[in-house]
Amino acid sequence: MQSGTFHTTYAADMALRPYWPQRLRIALVLVAVLVFPWFADRYWLSLANTIAIAAIGAIGLNILVGYTGQISIGQGGFLAVGAFSAGLMAARLDMPMWITVPIASLFTAVVGAFFGLPSLRLKGLYLAIATLAAQEIITWVLTHGKLLGIGESLSIPRETSNIFGISMTAIGNPDFAFYWVTVGSLILTVLFVSNLFRSRVGRAFVAIRDQDIAAQVIGVDLFRYKLLAFATSSFFAGLAGALTAHYRGIISWERFTIDTSILYLAMIIIGGLGSVSGSIYGAAFITLLPALLSNLARLLSGAVPQINSYLPYMQQGAFGLAIILFLIFEPEGIVKMWRNVKDYFRLWPFSY
Amino acid sequence: MGNDQRRFGMLALLLALALALAACGQPAPGTGGTTGATPAPSGEPIKIGAIFDLTGATADVGTPYSKGQIAYIEWRNANGGVAGRPLQLISQDYAYEVPRAEELYTQFVTQDGVVVFSGWGTGDTEALKGRISEDQIPFISASYSAELADPARTPFNFLVAPTYSDQMIIAMKWALEDWKAKGNADAPKFAYLFNDSPFGRSPLADGTAFAQASGVETPLEVPSPRGATDLTPQLTQIRDFGANYVFMQNVSTPAALALKNAKSLGLDIQFVCLNWCANELLIKLAGADAEGVVGAIPFDPAAEGAKVALEYAREKSIDYGGADSTFVQGWTAMSILVKGIEKTLADGKELTGENVRNTLQTMGEIDTGGVTQPIVFTETDHAGAKSLRMFRVENGKWVAITDFISAR
Repeated sequence: MQSGTFHTTYAADMALRPYWPQRLRIALVLVAVLVFPWFADRYWLSLANTIAIAAIGAIGLNILVGYTGQISIGQGGFLAVGAFSAGLMAARLDMPMWITVPIASLFTAVVGAFFGLPSLRLKGLYLAIATLAAQEIITWVLTHGKLLGIGESLSIPRETSNIFGISMTAIGNPDFAFYWVTVGSLILTVLFVSNLFRSRVGRAFVAIRDQDIAAQVIGVDLFRYKLLAFATSSFFAGLAGALTAHYRGIISWERFTIDTSILYLAMIIIGGLGSVSGSIYGAAFITLLPALLSNLARLLSGAVPQINSYLPYMQQGAFGLAIILFLIFEPEGIVKMWRNVKDYFRLWPFSY
Repeated sequence: MGNDQRRFGMLALLLALALALAACGQPAPGTGGTTGATPAPSGEPIKIGAIFDLTGATADVGTPYSKGQIAYIEWRNANGGVAGRPLQLISQDYAYEVPRAEELYTQFVTQDGVVVFSGWGTGDTEALKGRISEDQIPFISASYSAELADPARTPFNFLVAPTYSDQMIIAMKWALEDWKAKGNADAPKFAYLFNDSPFGRSPLADGTAFAQASGVETPLEVPSPRGATDLTPQLTQIRDFGANYVFMQNVSTPAALALKNAKSLGLDIQFVCLNWCANELLIKLAGADAEGVVGAIPFDPAAEGAKVALEYAREKSIDYGGADSTFVQGWTAMSILVKGIEKTLADGKELTGENVRNTLQTMGEIDTGGVTQPIVFTETDHAGAKSLRMFRVENGKWVAITDFISAR
């Protein structure tokens, strides 16, 4: 009997998913993802879309915070840049989604790199405050939107939500149609980012996180790679923002405040810092927690009629409680819990 | 050992949660009390969706408004329902967060199949307007943004009070009269102190256009940040500008804070509240500092039609924090939505969103018992009310000081 896994070839050692249960799980998840929309109603589809978009944004933030160690509380601002640049292109120039989304993501990457400039000199909490400035500056530009000709909100024409001229609504209701776009984007994001950290660039990011001085000594150009981390991270924030704009059809700055930035930080902390799948778990957890709590309360309200008046406070309490509990019991997040389960079986019966 | 501790911790937590749940489960006061001989409604319930702000940025007025809406449904059901069918209100708190509003709206419309919807904020109602039109759900929001009044663009949104723009223009009309009555020959100076949100900004452009057309210098725009605990800097800015009238488009709590700060600064400025800060909460929070404040109140709690609501609240001891006008506002808004449903059923039409919309558009004057002027929706205009009266706080009470004024 084999307790633990031992690679006997270099190919196995380098593989992204070396174990057969992992490959089986990927296959199962893919099947579930493909089957889900045919059975789910619009409510669950819209939740799935919200999760997929949030997961893309969370993965983006994780590149910066979890992998490169640069704390950012400006994610909401970068989401806004993506959303409004895509929205303005669609609303003013009638550009279709398949053009606006990539351009908006690239533009956000440039903006992100710009706001990443202070990272050369600033570290830790000081950098966090610098990114807070980015958040506030972007929100200010949007609320004083006369500069850009935006009113209180920006409507994106439904016609612009097409892919190569094929309207999104041609294959069903918007929630169903966007499911393929959001989940497709998420899969591409996961593929890209998982492989990024097997590359030279990704390893440089991790080296900077672990010990920036040591990284510089072994020849990592700190400034270049930090900016690259900001740009890559913001690219995915922009992607998430642009998808939000097209999916919701209307956006306002209220959606991208500092609260949003904090929520994204909560997602990656709960899900697992420095983990792609952790970002997805975190996004799902943060999105589903209020929804499940309110559904639970609705079920209970038949038996306990007064629960509705307490529910709002319980939801806020439960949210805070969840974060505290994660920090106490599993600081490494949901992904570590899952890893513990896997390790138990892999190492059985000699787990020490 | 570590594992045991962890297990114990989780158990303790579960226990705590269970206790919390149990504590919340105090037996409800006897609901469903049918009064007199009215038969309890039977048959398929009519589903009405609603989102309320009970914990968010506007919860101070959101809570009494929600109580008014819930109370109306209960009162209606206790009196036989609509056409013998009970009303079922499916509602939830959304904490003034747009994404949460979208999620709940989708759930109530697609899963529960609500026929009509009662909304709350400007940001979320505007975010939902596309969906509302696609889903054909008649929607009465507590936002009176002029953006929502044109049926050509938002065919299913209905406004039961004068738009924020109209409220601002009416308030300015009053201010111009007042300025003249005080014997001034020159033009007064105006400023806005507003909630830093789509709700706060909604009336500014139209108000400024009106002010300029009336020969008033462009009003100063001063946003009041969310969660501010001191508005002295904002008020200093207004004082330095030399404003004579400050129009407040905000909810009661920050508005009361502004009044208190203004008092300590010793400002000699007339404050004018639009709908959401002109209520009893403002007086409760600002106390004597609220004296002399003028407000645009579209829903008059002293009217004959409001008595039913206030008496029902007293009878059921519903605690809405003393905000009579806001409670009545929630009650009245819901009653208009339900009257649309009632007339649709009375006409023998199927209960669909489209039919309720058409009924509301064609049913002519909707009487609210003097709480508002009769509400009229047409196919080209969904701003049902055009005029309101200005009130002033005198001896701790809102007293009407004008007749009905309209914006045009």
